[in-house]
Amino acid sequence: CALRARDSWGIFAFLCAALCNLPAVPALNGTEELGAGQSIQKTYDLTRYLEHQLRTLAGTYLNYLGPPFNEPDFNPPRLARAEQVPSATVDLDLWRGLTDNARLAANYRAYSRLLCYLRGLDGQVGTVELRHRLGHFCSSLQGLVLSIAGVMSSLGYPLPAGPAGPPAPPGAPAAPNDFLKKMDDFWLLKELQTWLWRSAKDFNRLKKKVPPAVVTLRMEARGF
Amino acid sequence: MSCLPYFLYFKIIFLVILSRASCELLPCCASVLLPLFSHFSFVPLTPRILSLTPDFSTFTLTLKWSDNGSAFPYGLDASWEIEILRKETMEDVTRESYNSKLTHEDIIHSWNWKSDMPLECTSHYVRIRHYINITQFDGHKDWSDWSPVEPSGSGLFPQDTVVAVGSNVTFCCVHEEGRQVQRMSYGAKDYPLIRLSSRSSAIRVLNANASDASGTNIVCRMSENGMDGTVLFVGYGPDVPEDLSCETSNFVIIKCTWKPGRASGLYGVRGTKYSLIESISGKNVSCEVNEMKKERICGFPVLADQKTYSFVLGVSNPIGQTEASLLVDLNQRVNPETPEKLTVSGNSSTSVRLHWFINGSFAEIRLLCQIEISSGHSEQKLHNVSMPGGKFSTYTAQLNALHPYTKYRFRVRCSAADHFWRWSDWSGTEEHTTLEAPPARGPDIWRERSPSGKSLRIFWKVDRKLKMSVWSLMDFFVVFVADNVKTDRAVAMGNGIYISWNSYPNMTCGYIVKWCHSSGSEPCSVDWQKFPSNTTDAVIKSALFRPGVRYNFSLYGCKSSGYQLLKNITGYTKELPPKRAPNFTVEETSSDSILVKWEDMPIEDCQGFLEGYRLSFAKGEKDALKPRLLESGNPELKVKNITDLTKKSLKILDLQGKTSYQLDLQAYTAGGLSPPNSLYVVTKEDSVGLIIAILIPVAVVVLLGVVASIFCYRKREWIKETFYPEIPNPENSKALQFQKNICEGNKSLKTLEMNPCTPNSVEVVETQSAAPKIEDTEMMSSKTDTIVPEDGSDSETENHVVVSYCPPIIEEEISNPPMDEPVGLSQVVYIDIQSMYQPQIKPEEESEIDLVTTAGYKPQMQLPVSALKIESRSPAEEESDKTAGYRPQANTNAWNMDTPDSPGSVESNNENASFGSPCSINSRQFLLPPKDDEDSPKPSNTGWSFTHFFQNKPND
Repeated sequence: CALRARDSWGIFAFLCAALCNLPAVPALNGTEELGAGQSIQKTYDLTRYLEHQLRTLAGTYLNYLGPPFNEPDFNPPRLARAEQVPSATVDLDLWRGLTDNARLAANYRAYSRLLCYLRGLDGQVGTVELRHRLGHFCSSLQGLVLSIAGVMSSLGYPLPAGPAGPPAPPGAPAAPNDFLKKMDDFWLLKELQTWLWRSAKDFNRLKKKVPPAVVTLRMEARGF
Repeated sequence: MSCLPYFLYFKIIFLVILSRASCELLPCCASVLLPLFSHFSFVPLTPRILSLTPDFSTFTLTLKWSDNGSAFPYGLDASWEIEILRKETMEDVTRESYNSKLTHEDIIHSWNWKSDMPLECTSHYVRIRHYINITQFDGHKDWSDWSPVEPSGSGLFPQDTVVAVGSNVTFCCVHEEGRQVQRMSYGAKDYPLIRLSSRSSAIRVLNANASDASGTNIVCRMSENGMDGTVLFVGYGPDVPEDLSCETSNFVIIKCTWKPGRASGLYGVRGTKYSLIESISGKNVSCEVNEMKKERICGFPVLADQKTYSFVLGVSNPIGQTEASLLVDLNQRVNPETPEKLTVSGNSSTSVRLHWFINGSFAEIRLLCQIEISSGHSEQKLHNVSMPGGKFSTYTAQLNALHPYTKYRFRVRCSAADHFWRWSDWSGTEEHTTLEAPPARGPDIWRERSPSGKSLRIFWKVDRKLKMSVWSLMDFFVVFVADNVKTDRAVAMGNGIYISWNSYPNMTCGYIVKWCHSSGSEPCSVDWQKFPSNTTDAVIKSALFRPGVRYNFSLYGCKSSGYQLLKNITGYTKELPPKRAPNFTVEETSSDSILVKWEDMPIEDCQGFLEGYRLSFAKGEKDALKPRLLESGNPELKVKNITDLTKKSLKILDLQGKTSYQLDLQAYTAGGLSPPNSLYVVTKEDSVGLIIAILIPVAVVVLLGVVASIFCYRKREWIKETFYPEIPNPENSKALQFQKNICEGNKSLKTLEMNPCTPNSVEVVETQSAAPKIEDTEMMSSKTDTIVPEDGSDSETENHVVVSYCPPIIEEEISNPPMDEPVGLSQVVYIDIQSMYQPQIKPEEESEIDLVTTAGYKPQMQLPVSALKIESRSPAEEESDKTAGYRPQANTNAWNMDTPDSPGSVESNNENASFGSPCSINSRQFLLPPKDDEDSPKPSNTGWSFTHFFQNKPND
């Protein structure tokens, strides 16, 4: 991890240096300078928006699942099946100890898979309205996945290979019964909520880290 | 095995052994032996269960066994008794019997049993035994061994089942050994647990309600945070589809529609499925239906060479299935596709050709198409065309008898011609303008000679369809104008103007009515209308006529030599109220009249034939806040109606001088009143009246004065004698009249005259200088003060006081001063008084009362109170009051008794004590030395009063 962190900082420093030397190039425009900071901000905003959107969606969806899923104190044991959904319940210290790159990659992978499961929900839902809302949320989440990819590339990180790209598992294996399917849905929403909450924190931290550098760069660039 | 020996019982035990060989002969011996066997009971073999198979999905157990029929004679009745129990509870669930016939063959029987709870819930055990011929066999009959069904695994059962609304369902929670089921819920509700075994509990849901879209969740919560769940879908079986109807729009696809009826409440894979089966061809299709739409649609391909279709619509869902059927002749169920690509062509002024395309194969039927023709001028027309159908072809129709140079709009719809079923939708609208045609006749013209006669003006009616050019003026045109052309008024009729005229026999070629479209002068927009010579009236109508505008019509007669102006007519299509009132001014005002003048109104403002003016007037200031005169409903409002239109002024008479008047003038027509024009006029002051009003009273006063002076002068001796005699006549002296009417309630003359009164009592009191406690209260003090000498001559003698006594006052208990009762003067009556008040007086005070009563004259009414209050007096005050001397008998306190709280305030005003009771007035006037009581109140008394005054002040 430490190595990676050093690597990323190295890359970042390199980028900074490169940018410092670039102002002489007349073609350089402001938007590119702001790329990383802006895209982090946008990703952060999108995450917050998704958090908000999920709150209403989850309410509706859990009502659709019926009691006890919509009961506030419902806390079912996490069945083995639910482990297929990427869990966000990683120890917070452990999570913070990761490099930005690793965290972004984990986010990217998680949302790609969550999106895949979420799309599986879409087809089963009985009511049209809920199907509509799920579809809308899916496209928003798709946007988040792309947005994270954008942040990673703007910071010069490679996209995680394999499971991240086009979803590797072609949908979850069908649950053996309807109740377990509902449990899966429940856990999916719960994990999504946790992921979004943590991602918002991640992007906020990243936002604080990145923009000042960009601003100084811009000032220097103007100074030239 | 089948040839094992067996036993026969026949009342007394009786053994028959049949060999294997005899078995083979059974058919022949059976006929012989059967009647015999029926009287026997055979000892049954112990049956053996071949298999016991559970069907967990349907909660059904299938039991199979062999009847060993080969070992028995043919045709014996076999009865089987089957017992099922649930192991752990050792509950005998059921014991059922099953009958069969033995056929001398080993037959494997199968028997199903449906459990009321999932088979997974607990172990089931089954055993069987049988009887031959008789069920009451009391001999030896063995049960088979128990055959078990042992479910494995745990969970909540049944899993994902679908049941009909109103069903009773048992759910069981099967768990590992050692765990405990804490609760089981169905939906949001917990149900009481039924313990089935050490590892399974159940709940029973009765009369299940329809579940939500995602089903009803049943959750089993166990110890150690264990949880299991299942989902139950409760819905309705499908309804029989209603209004099943099939039709084709193109002879390619038959579309069937129906109404699904009640929603099943089941969705997705459990939703209702439809399939369309055509029984003649045997083809079937499954229908993809949109659950969200009320009406379902399913398509079935049109089959070649088949015109009649017998459809069966199968409907099914997990709860049930139903169907509806329909037999159709396709040719009678044609609802063609909407015509498209409509085009209009034509190079004629009266006919066009329409072309359109219908996407369908109608080769075997005729089509009936309807063309809607509409133009701006005329109403819509429908034109039907029948034509042979084609295969995806274009259809053509020709329309004739159209108007030239007219813009038409067309649209088309079609149906089957022979068996009308339904019209298609209308095609899109297409516009087309027919070609121009040569005019059928010349233009309608009118000519007018200018007033100078040197130029001629030609008018013609514009027909936009016609192009015009003036070639020459060929005909001879003369207009005769008679001198005495009269002007008539026309009558409005509907939205036109009715004009009539006499028949003029020499007008051979008709009449012409000409008018201008404006009431103004020339040049105006001229219009005219021609009438044949037999006409004598006409209603002139024009879209340009406006209400409230005066139109002037000229009636011309046509004769061979030219046109002759017969008469002028004016009229309105509708008379309106005048736009405004005439301007009017006040010409002169006097003290009682106003002369008003007004101007003529221009005809444009009249908006009708002016019928008169209305002048209303009333007193009124020019005040914007006040309502208008006409609206106010003023009772003084006066209205003058002027119908003589030549009159342009009016004098209003009988007005008041120096008064503001509001005048409103309105003009009116048959259409109503114009808005008013208002003026405010103040009439002049009426000076003569004022002068007279002042002069007459002055003159009268002067005259009276003069007369009085003369009278006085003449009678001065008599006057002096009468009013100011040198020696006054004692009889005339008022001072000596006090004896009169003393007991007649005369307030002014209440003196102590005794004679006319009937004395009630007379009290002769000796004044004692040592009566120390008298001045306790104001009342008391006043009593002590009111020392009235009997003869009234000596006010200073306090020794003897004669007190008048007025009994009613006593009765009233001090509440009122003696106002009306004559003051009686008589014997001493204090015995009465005391006895009367004795109950209220303390014994110790009695002696003091005596003192009080002897203190001098007092109004008796006050006695009890004074007696009560005597004690509270301080000696100093008593002393001072003693010296107070005479006080008017009318006690000021007595008439203030209504306010017993404030005695002091009254006492302090003892200068005024003379006001009030007539008795006191009398006593002051006649019994006291002049000025003595009024001007010099005793100082001690004053001091006492002041203290009381201050004491009582806060009470005020």
